Amino acid sequence: MAAFPSVDWFDEVRNVFNADDRYRGAGGGYCNCVAGFKIVDRVFVLTFDGFECSAAAEGDDGSLDDVDFYLEMPGEEWRDMVANIAANGGADLHHTLNTLDLDRADGLATSRHGDQVREDLFFRYNQTLQFFFDASALVETEFA
Amino acid sequence: MSEAANGAEQELDLGWMARTGPWETRAAPGKYGLTIADISIGDYGEAPEVSDNLTGRPRGAAARPASYRIGAYSVRSKSEIWLDNASFLYEEALQRQWSSATDVPWHTIEPLPDDVEQAECQLATFLTEVEFVAGDVPARWVSLTTPDFYEPRQVLLAQVMDESRHMDVFRKRALANGGGLMQATGATSGFVGSIDLSRDFTEMSSRLHVSGEGAVLTLFRMGELMAQNEAEKVIYRLCAQDEARHVAFGVMHLRYMSETAPERREEIHCYLDEAEGGLIGAANPVGQLTPTSESMAIILGGGKDHFDDGMNKIIAIRRRQLQEYRKRVISAGFGERFENGRSRVAQMIDEAA
Repeated sequence: MAAFPSVDWFDEVRNVFNADDRYRGAGGGYCNCVAGFKIVDRVFVLTFDGFECSAAAEGDDGSLDDVDFYLEMPGEEWRDMVANIAANGGADLHHTLNTLDLDRADGLATSRHGDQVREDLFFRYNQTLQFFFDASALVETEFA
Repeated sequence: MSEAANGAEQELDLGWMARTGPWETRAAPGKYGLTIADISIGDYGEAPEVSDNLTGRPRGAAARPASYRIGAYSVRSKSEIWLDNASFLYEEALQRQWSSATDVPWHTIEPLPDDVEQAECQLATFLTEVEFVAGDVPARWVSLTTPDFYEPRQVLLAQVMDESRHMDVFRKRALANGGGLMQATGATSGFVGSIDLSRDFTEMSSRLHVSGEGAVLTLFRMGELMAQNEAEKVIYRLCAQDEARHVAFGVMHLRYMSETAPERREEIHCYLDEAEGGLIGAANPVGQLTPTSESMAIILGGGKDHFDDGMNKIIAIRRRQLQEYRKRVISAGFGERFENGRSRVAQMIDEAA
């Protein structure tokens, strides 16, 4: 059982995601970006490279300067999203990344560099990112 | 000597074997397969600044002196259409295709209240109309572009496929749940229709890719708020992905143009002046009150009795559209218009607050 959030948890999700060919079709596939996730006071950085999520690492606040975009929500909302995915086998209508982005006046995805072309990667690869988090339904999760 | 062709012995003409482009080329697949970036090697990778290719000759192929001029290519200067990441966008477009027939969980659509279903059908009618323009226009420019600039041509061809799918998926949605298409909205006249009047590729791209599709991208993303079921969520999410790629094409092209043809910057600002007018025009369903914006407000509010709630969300969408447009124009290298008072976008954002 992996604790959310942790590198172990992201690695387990990566293993599920990278092994399932279904995530390469249906609007998924070929994805190249570096995405940050700010979960309370911890920062995680995922690297998507071609068909794979090739790396997950824990960083610090400065790491967010370099990512293409990062997602930031309060801890309970991250847990709510992950629990919803686990309960439904994937995000329901109210817990997709894009819906959570839209629920916030300033959005869920942002960046420090302000380059909209790089921020737009969140939209360009949205289905892949959703597939990634939906893959967490197959990871036994405990909340740290 | 051969008798294979017609039974009679004849000399083989192997002269064509000596007429080649650069030879002994060995492109090797990289980690993403054999991409068009991987075959941009040697002379084959060199796109000329100005192309004299009027015959449809593939870039790098040996010229055939007796060729007809088959292409009336008006786009023959690299700065007019080039962008640095065209190869990448093209491969991404190929890899991220989806099927409106099988990748949308159509079975999740269930009957809706009449007013909401009618609103859904009105919006689907509007989106089908505008996607016609988004497909037709780049298709026309493909035929006007020299084959020497095949990378951006390939991206535009992929865009045509994307827009074709968008046209059919919204038509399918209109016909899937007891409604049908509504009266045509006229969205293809006015600003949207004017995109096809552009006489210059960058003029077209600034209107279509940066302004028009940037605005539609925001709409598609907001579509997840409008979605009543999983099928509509998937439709909007996947359309938004495609649209973001098209927007990236436009922004990256403007950036290239800005860097390589600075003498055209003032001209580009004029295109952006016009484009910004379109953002608050009737062609934008969150720009003014139109049948389409009424339908969106009904969907977003949850019925015509909650119209005002829906309108408040529309205003929020308008604000996001404008903010994202401004950041894309800055990214393209034309941010000074927001500093020197030329653009009204900041005021428009305040008005939408």
